[in-house]
Amino acid sequence: MDWQGQKRAEILMQIMLVVSAVAAFGVGYTIGSFRTMMLAYAGGVVLTTLITVPNWPFFNRHPLKWLDPSEAERHPKPQVNSAAASSKKKAVKHK
Amino acid sequence: MHSFSYRANAVVTFAVTILAVMCGMASLSDNFNSPSPTADVKVLNINWFQKQPNGNDEVSLTLNISADLSSLFTWNTKQVFVFVAAEYGTPQNALNQVSLWDGIIQSKEHAKFWIHTTNKYRFTDQARCSMPLFASGNNLRGKDFNLTLHWHIMPKTGKMFADKIVMTGYSLPEEYR
Repeated sequence: MDWQGQKRAEILMQIMLVVSAVAAFGVGYTIGSFRTMMLAYAGGVVLTTLITVPNWPFFNRHPLKWLDPSEAERHPKPQVNSAAASSKKKAVKHK
Repeated sequence: MHSFSYRANAVVTFAVTILAVMCGMASLSDNFNSPSPTADVKVLNINWFQKQPNGNDEVSLTLNISADLSSLFTWNTKQVFVFVAAEYGTPQNALNQVSLWDGIIQSKEHAKFWIHTTNKYRFTDQARCSMPLFASGNNLRGKDFNLTLHWHIMPKTGKMFADKIVMTGYSLPEEYR
């Protein structure tokens, strides 16, 4: 998923769960059946999971642009200064 | 929402939190119910009234208990526990309560009931042995008592409500029989 997709997935998840909870409570209270409320809410949770958790293509509409390999070669990674690191270790031991 | 497991965890956690809120609201909705139960207990017969070897008075009654507790049931009620208790005062203790019968009602359809039974539990007055010279379980002779129908409304989630109806005017005979 790309960044936009992640944000969409999160908002979609929150809205869907709250809506299914409100709908389940409303239906259960009006009918007078606790069982109906629980089943309706469980159905809502499963639906939300199916829509927001897997990596669907519509969450990847704004893919990240990584650098081309030829561009990356022209800007090499900085080297770690290993000589400076080992002299620091020796100074600590003599203390 | 970086990975599959991250999103799965988020969904589960949020869903369970919302579930807790829903159960709280279901419990709160019980407060909107204003119940109007009725009950009547008749003592049909005093079967026997004796002094036991351990010094306690004991009486056996035949009761006719009829009640309509259907207005106590809400969508959030799992069952109603109902019991009948005899209440009386003695010189030693201001209030004595003895449970005579109890039952569990699991649905609104069974809440309007009528039962003809002897007392399920023994109705005895216990002699206190702390002062042997005064040990008297003689308290039940000629005693006036109340019969109270108590109920506990046990919810599916949340707060349990308990209440009672007091019926006065019952009394035991003066002499053993």
